[in-house]
Amino acid sequence: MSQQLAPPDVTVITGAGGWLGTGLVAAFLSGDHEYQRAGRLRLLVRDPGDAVALRAASDRVEVFVGDIGRADTARDLFRGLHHTDAVGSVDVIHTAGIIHPNKMADFDAVNHQGTEHILRAAENAGVRRMVHVSSNSPFGTNADVADTFGHDEPFHPYFGYGRSKMDAELRVQDAVDRGLNVVMVRPPWFYGPHQPARQTTFFTLVRTGRFPVLGGGHQRRSMVFIDNLIEGIVRAELTPTAPGLAWWIADERAYTVSEIVETVGRALTAEGYDVKPNRLKLPNVVGDIAERIDGVFQRVDKYNQQFHVLGEMNKTIAVDIRAAQRDLGYSPDVSLYDGMRRSIQWCREQDIEL
Amino acid sequence: MTATNEWAANHECEVLVIGSGAGGATTAAILAEAGHDVLIIEEGPWVDQGEVVPFSLEQMDRQYRSGGVTVALGVPSIAYTEGRCAGGGTEVNSGLYRRPPEQAIARWQSEYAIDDFDADGLLSICEEVEAELTVQTVPGEHTRASEILRDGAAALGWQHDESPRWMSYPEGGRAVDGKRQSMTRTYLPRAFAAGARMLTEHRLDRIVMSGGSATSAELSTTATGIDQPTTITFKSVFVCGGAIQTPAILQRAGFRHRVGRTLAVHPTVKLAARFDETVNTPDDVPVFQVKEFAPGISFGGSASHPGLVALSLIDNWRDFGATVTAWPELAIYYAAITSQGRGWVQAIPGVRDPIVTYRLTKRDRALLGQGLARLALLMLEAGAGEVYPSFKQAPLVRNRADLAKMTAAFAATQASVMTVHLCSTAPMGENYKRTATDSFGKVHGATNVWVNDAALLPDAPGVNPQASVMAIAIRNARRFADERAG
Repeated sequence: MSQQLAPPDVTVITGAGGWLGTGLVAAFLSGDHEYQRAGRLRLLVRDPGDAVALRAASDRVEVFVGDIGRADTARDLFRGLHHTDAVGSVDVIHTAGIIHPNKMADFDAVNHQGTEHILRAAENAGVRRMVHVSSNSPFGTNADVADTFGHDEPFHPYFGYGRSKMDAELRVQDAVDRGLNVVMVRPPWFYGPHQPARQTTFFTLVRTGRFPVLGGGHQRRSMVFIDNLIEGIVRAELTPTAPGLAWWIADERAYTVSEIVETVGRALTAEGYDVKPNRLKLPNVVGDIAERIDGVFQRVDKYNQQFHVLGEMNKTIAVDIRAAQRDLGYSPDVSLYDGMRRSIQWCREQDIEL
Repeated sequence: MTATNEWAANHECEVLVIGSGAGGATTAAILAEAGHDVLIIEEGPWVDQGEVVPFSLEQMDRQYRSGGVTVALGVPSIAYTEGRCAGGGTEVNSGLYRRPPEQAIARWQSEYAIDDFDADGLLSICEEVEAELTVQTVPGEHTRASEILRDGAAALGWQHDESPRWMSYPEGGRAVDGKRQSMTRTYLPRAFAAGARMLTEHRLDRIVMSGGSATSAELSTTATGIDQPTTITFKSVFVCGGAIQTPAILQRAGFRHRVGRTLAVHPTVKLAARFDETVNTPDDVPVFQVKEFAPGISFGGSASHPGLVALSLIDNWRDFGATVTAWPELAIYYAAITSQGRGWVQAIPGVRDPIVTYRLTKRDRALLGQGLARLALLMLEAGAGEVYPSFKQAPLVRNRADLAKMTAAFAATQASVMTVHLCSTAPMGENYKRTATDSFGKVHGATNVWVNDAALLPDAPGVNPQASVMAIAIRNARRFADERAG
């Protein structure tokens, strides 16, 4: 592994109002965080409400509001960052994406076309390095519970989200061919502070013993605590490597669903919550049916979050992080138990009822 | 040589061995060397190594059952091949040697309650087999098709290795200089040297039973120009007809308990890959195997004779057919899986061949698709310009974006699924509910009928099974001899 580069003078972050983006900005601005950086942050958010809070956070922050589905948003975001503008080095961390949209067309507009817009604008500005945040979805699910995705896999996208993230990866490869220094990280299911409401529901379901464990809970899932993910992203940004590489960024190993539910239960108990034994054991066929319904909905351009999530619950999604360990020196330090405790503590600090 | 096809008379022997493949030949050699009077019967002809071109259509006609391909019914149907010649499958298979994985040995022992069965014992027999068959890696140059597998796996960082083969090579010899050390060159001559006799081109019609004891075998000839029924009386009989014929023979003799109910195979799907150079070696197969995703998924190379290249393109002949003229630039590769499915073998009265069925599970079908996609990725990384997957409506794959089209279009039910590793139709062990024989192959309920071939393997080992079959057969034959020596 090569010596890491210094952080850039300007870091552009898309999706800065989102879950991951919020975590990245907090880490970069925090005085005592391992990854705090001195340069300017230029942030893109979609919701004007997010912009207010971010602007207040630091005078090193510039916030742009816009929809990356529109080409002019990306152009505006990079205004004044052209390498001839003498602003110094510029890196881009592209986290913007949509995972649970109102309509199917949003997948392509945001995840695929939006990525293409950012790539073109970054290329035009002559940025130093860009990190594209991808997903496990372009690769589908493991066909067997014992199977683990290697660092390079054939595309097998899981429904509409997977297709849009795959198309984005293909546009990234095109940009690499044109000369842009862009790499990719692929986090599976991530969790931790700043999480949206749908993840809070997960805690509530475990606490009340109603988390749907399908087919015995032997399925394996790779997960990643948000701080581990931030480490992976920053290392991908600052470790000099060939462009076009992609790394799985996850916790050290995959967990069985039973282990996840059990660990979250222990974390909740340790944080003083009263946890009921999990009773909702469902046959695998429930997941199969949900998957089928999800497919039918998506074919007619509709998206139903409950069916989508349930349909995926009886699948194994396990990834091998050895390439990130080898190429980037990535080392996920936070365990599932500790990560879950920190997530629960964060929820309590935000007065979120679990 | 003590093998003959002209022997139209009634005969007696102490031990009758039915079948002369990896199970039968080793059984005959061990028992004859222990002083038993052994007679081997074999349905197919004796064909010396080198008499026909390996992996050719002529070989399929002469040394395989039914001209090369038989089909297990199911959705999809699974094509399989069985050797039918002196030496059985060992004469015609790829010659790749893998010891039984210790994990499989432990699983068989514990789930099937097999007495005196452990890795140390079996692996020490494997060492003997390796010496006898000169099991080794290629000393000299590999074939191009073989190097492609190695290079593609290395580019992806996937674990791969060279499978040794039971071959002899001249000093520093190339892969294509190897001479197969099959049963006709090893254990069958050993059996003859110890006094065993062999009757080729004779098919077993039935075993005559008296209570739980087998008394004689009635045979008819399969050679042309001879038409004389033969009866052989014996004291003991070893059925070594392979995982399809053995259960059918037992069923016809009245044995039904767990016989033919748990056929296990390694289903495979294939693709042809085209390179911008000559890669096809018609009379040899690649020796590298990719084990990154083992035991679930393994990759290897297949025989790529021009006729087989045509066969691999046939599922989408409209789009792919014209490519067959470029066969020197094409090689065929497979993705094999360990299957959760099981099959049945059922003898039908009055019908010569048993009905075979096999059912892939949903997970098996998905794993075949994942395996084929990864294999296609490996081919692209190895420099293939075009990949032709073997399933109906398969798209031509030239790049990674095409891989997504391929995975979206793949359905195992539309694929040419085939297998060469058939086993587990008369599993061994003391767990009566799951086994057809005891821990040493003696058929439950019989006094003098043994099974000693691939049918005994409790499930598919996840690797080429011939070493497992030979080691278990030698173990069981020794037990039989020891019990009678004392």
